[in-house]
Amino acid sequence: MQRSSTDKRHFIIAGVLVVVVSLALYALLYVALPLPLQASTQAATIDWVFQAHMILLSVLFALVVVFMMYAVVVFRRKDGDSSEGEHFEGNTPLEIAWTVLPLIAVVIFGYIGVTSLRTVTAAQENEVVVDVEGFQWAWAFTYPDTGAASADLVLPVNQPARMEMTSRDVIHSFWVPEFRVKQDAVPGQTTVLRFTPTVEGEYTLVCAELCGLTHYNMIAKVKIVSQEEYAQWQQVQLAAMGKTAATAGSIDVAQGDAPAVDN
Amino acid sequence: MADNEQRMSLLSIGLVRGLVGQFAGILLGFALVVLIRALAGYDEVWSTEPAWVVGAILGALGFLIAIGAMSDWFSWWRGGETPFVHGPRHPGRPTWARYFDVDYNHKVIGIQYGVTGLIMLCIGGSFAVIFRSELARSGLQFLQPATYNTFIGMHGWAALFGIFIGIGGMANYLVPLMIGADDMAFPRLNSFAFWINVPAIVLLLISLYYTWDAGWTVYPPLSLKGSPGFQLVFWSIFLLGFSSILGSLNLVATMLRMRSPGMSLFRMPIFCWAMMATSLIQLTATQLIAMSFLMLSLAREATLAMPFFVPVLNAAGVNIGGDPTLFQHTFWFYSHPAVYVWVLPGLGIISELLPVFARKPLFGYRWIAISSLAIALVGFLVWGHHMFTSAYSPNLRVWFMVSTLLVAVPTGVKFFSWLGTIWGGKLSFPTPMLFTLGAISVFLLGGLSGPVLATVATDLHLQDTYFVIGHFHATIFGGFVFPFFAAIYYWFPKITGRMYNEQLGKLHFWLMLPAFWLMSVGQMSVGVAGMRRRIVDYDPLLGGMTRFNLGFVEIVQILITISAFVIAFSILIMIYNLFHSAEVGRVAGANPWRSRSPEWQIPSPIPEQSYPRPLHVVGEPYDYGLATSPRFVAGDD
Ligand SMILES: [Cu+2]
Ligand SMILES: [Cu+2]
Repeated sequence: MQRSSTDKRHFIIAGVLVVVVSLALYALLYVALPLPLQASTQAATIDWVFQAHMILLSVLFALVVVFMMYAVVVFRRKDGDSSEGEHFEGNTPLEIAWTVLPLIAVVIFGYIGVTSLRTVTAAQENEVVVDVEGFQWAWAFTYPDTGAASADLVLPVNQPARMEMTSRDVIHSFWVPEFRVKQDAVPGQTTVLRFTPTVEGEYTLVCAELCGLTHYNMIAKVKIVSQEEYAQWQQVQLAAMGKTAATAGSIDVAQGDAPAVDN
Repeated sequence: MADNEQRMSLLSIGLVRGLVGQFAGILLGFALVVLIRALAGYDEVWSTEPAWVVGAILGALGFLIAIGAMSDWFSWWRGGETPFVHGPRHPGRPTWARYFDVDYNHKVIGIQYGVTGLIMLCIGGSFAVIFRSELARSGLQFLQPATYNTFIGMHGWAALFGIFIGIGGMANYLVPLMIGADDMAFPRLNSFAFWINVPAIVLLLISLYYTWDAGWTVYPPLSLKGSPGFQLVFWSIFLLGFSSILGSLNLVATMLRMRSPGMSLFRMPIFCWAMMATSLIQLTATQLIAMSFLMLSLAREATLAMPFFVPVLNAAGVNIGGDPTLFQHTFWFYSHPAVYVWVLPGLGIISELLPVFARKPLFGYRWIAISSLAIALVGFLVWGHHMFTSAYSPNLRVWFMVSTLLVAVPTGVKFFSWLGTIWGGKLSFPTPMLFTLGAISVFLLGGLSGPVLATVATDLHLQDTYFVIGHFHATIFGGFVFPFFAAIYYWFPKITGRMYNEQLGKLHFWLMLPAFWLMSVGQMSVGVAGMRRRIVDYDPLLGGMTRFNLGFVEIVQILITISAFVIAFSILIMIYNLFHSAEVGRVAGANPWRSRSPEWQIPSPIPEQSYPRPLHVVGEPYDYGLATSPRFVAGDD
């Protein structure tokens, strides 16, 4: 004699399985979804939110799939049995419960989303400003504070940086996976991206928005260096450009506006 | 005899006639542009792009006139009468010829849609298999970047054509049958709406010759420059959208006006509710993409160069032109709801099949019906989540994040109701049920990978990466491809009167499901590790990550490519199964699945007129396990 489908024992067994599978699944996702090196303060926040979502994903996935597989195993039709299943058409309190519970989850994750967004995009004091220009298919960087220009992006470690971006032709997108944050560079507009690099080293800036023929190769070198090295690099750049720090400083004005697209 | 031979000449095949008509229309368009330019005094009388724009429009018109999709309307115009008759419009021709010509029977049109949809899915999939081979290793193998960039866009649109047209197949075949109607409300419009897809497909395929490299989203300013291929894509999609609008109008009218006696709205099989929600989206949102592609067509540098989407600075440096992000708003205002167009019918199929194979009522029928409408409604409020890294007010991002997360609520209702449906049932697992359960698992992965993208902070990392690719394909395979295959296997005996081969069906499923899972998780994996989408070459050591002394990303890419080949192979097995079983399969009988749905109460294959006597509906659609609930009584009027 088969137990009724509303027997408590079904739900206890399935409930235990949900817990076990959630844990196993999260462990699996942790390995299968490897975030790159955490090299900015923004990355720390984003990774935290990411892992929170993966936990949510694991639990909800386990919840549905365990109950589904449990039904597949326990409620399968025996050979030669052509009788019908139990007759119940629905359960309004249950429907209300699984409408309201997800709503609560939405409120919680909405709150996490809003606060993390605020943290990730917050303006900081003492920002290094860099004017970034994307064009088919490379990047150009100028430092309005000093007037230095470069094809590599060099930034001092642990100091907030602000990218003021635009594009000369089509839409590009600024992304260093190790810093996590991403922002499009749009012709005719100035968009802003903030991040604070925390680990010295070399990274690759890639264009994340399809921009034509060699989009895949639209990359630039990013170097995160100590404050001393950064100051030194600025001097070298300026010397190479035949300028000194004193005479520079007003170059960003010409750079700020986007070039007109000839039409 | 001579009469017969004349009938079966090549030009008597409607499709051939239509293609000739399209060709003539294109040439006429070219000639018209040359003439106008000559009269206007241009030195260069030939200009490829304007010629193609006019050629595309006149070509589509030429196709529809030549195939006869508008003949009845012309004859009304002249005051003629064209009474509706059941049966072939040209008696005496072989049966197959009906499927290549204008026919007003919704079952013929449904098959026309379904087969065309499957063909387009195969074409779209073939592009994927080609560039997946390229991506198996880093470095450039055999695809040039320009070809690769064209192929990714072609993959997208060919597959989307397949989805739209495949849905048209399910809707046109099933909806009238399910509500006990003899046909759609507007049979001529139905045929017109199908055939307009064919010139659209022809234009899309011609665009391949010219190449176009901005991906399926064709964001300007990139899509305003370069090859005339873009123009062909824009007009191809414009025509596809036309088909969507007319088809959905027809479906809404059919469901509201053509239901048989006793078939109240809440007694319709649940698939009809899914199609109602889908059709309402298509009827109200498609205009937006039509408009945005029309604007792109006019904004192209080689046509009128209207500055809708590019800044133009005046002498004072003020922008008096347009804005590239305007296009993204209009595009996604349609294209996000469109995602629900692609998945709601499939979710309807899941809800439709589960009760039959669980021998239990659909759990919370009304909740599921209403949740489809709720998803459709919320779907209009979330488009900005595609633009979190784009340029618009940072505060707006918060609203789009919250509205997007809200989609989880009605979607959750569906999942839990499906669990309630199978809980305590008597489950059996023929191929359609396997694909249904597979669809649930895959759509669950697609759905649950959504919130992390809807959350702005994490999306700043994941936007434009393979994570999005993985999320999207899981959503579409779970919400459309798996349910579509379930539907094909499930209604195959109804359509052909014969059973498909169960072993081959199961083989198809057990190859495709694990392969798809591996592919999806693999795509999400490399995306998180930092791989951008739409790149022909990648750094194998991405993110500095290695496994087993190999670049982690490259190992996963190889696995994804293998999975893609397994999926493609399994689909070939299905196609073989369908063709073979249509000939030699076991005779299925009227109702092999013991379903309560109206279409299973009539013979298989369904006779020309589905319901010679009107159906009187008295019971609930899914009262399995309740012996006292009859579904129909014989009508005598
Ligand atoms: Cu770029
Ligand atoms: Cu969307």
